[in-house]
Amino acid sequence: MNILFFGKLGDRIGREVSIEPPPAGFTVREVRELLASLYPDLAEDLTSPSLKACVEDAIVADEFRVGAGGTVEFFPPLSGG
Amino acid sequence: MIEARLTDLPLDPAAELSRFMAKLADEGAVVSFAGIARPRNRDGADVERMFLDHHPRITQSSIDDIAQAASRRFAVGAITAVHRFGEVLPGETIVFVAAASLHRRAAFEAADYVMDRLKTDAVLWKREDSVDGSRWIEPTEADRADRARWSE
Repeated sequence: MNILFFGKLGDRIGREVSIEPPPAGFTVREVRELLASLYPDLAEDLTSPSLKACVEDAIVADEFRVGAGGTVEFFPPLSGG
Repeated sequence: MIEARLTDLPLDPAAELSRFMAKLADEGAVVSFAGIARPRNRDGADVERMFLDHHPRITQSSIDDIAQAASRRFAVGAITAVHRFGEVLPGETIVFVAAASLHRRAAFEAADYVMDRLKTDAVLWKREDSVDGSRWIEPTEADRADRARWSE
């Protein structure tokens, strides 16, 4: 499963990392928890509701299940203009 | 003519405004806005650069949505929104918005609306690199309040 990060998390972790999910995949919540354990310094950001999860270009809830070959993109709070 | 565009090149607001006005037909009002990268941050420290991270697809669709929503909401004949991504130096234009309408009110409101939504809803992430270090910017309460003015 591919995980993409943008903004602050992209700076701190890198744009893309791969994680190894079980055959049934992961819920977004499980992805967040795994990442929080891998990057304890960023655990607060990774589990914050202000960090949105995006699958196939749509924002998804934490219960959303992502297949083992899927991609999750994480969006910190936006700031344009 | 509703246009929203991203660019990693320098943005010249005078040239953008000329291009915009050259395409108008019978509109009697044009309002434009340029947002400039400030040389000092909120703490007074010198800013070396801004960096805008963006998403390869969703950033464009988010600014398209904002421009289209403005065109549905206000009686405007044309809207242009151009937003920089990548590195932006102090004094450079980071965003340009123009709106044209038959009468002035709609153009003022449309430009105001597009800017308020770009601050909170455009899929961009802005980092300020100053002499004191780097900081990722998040919308302020004032930005959220400005955005909320347009909620139905």
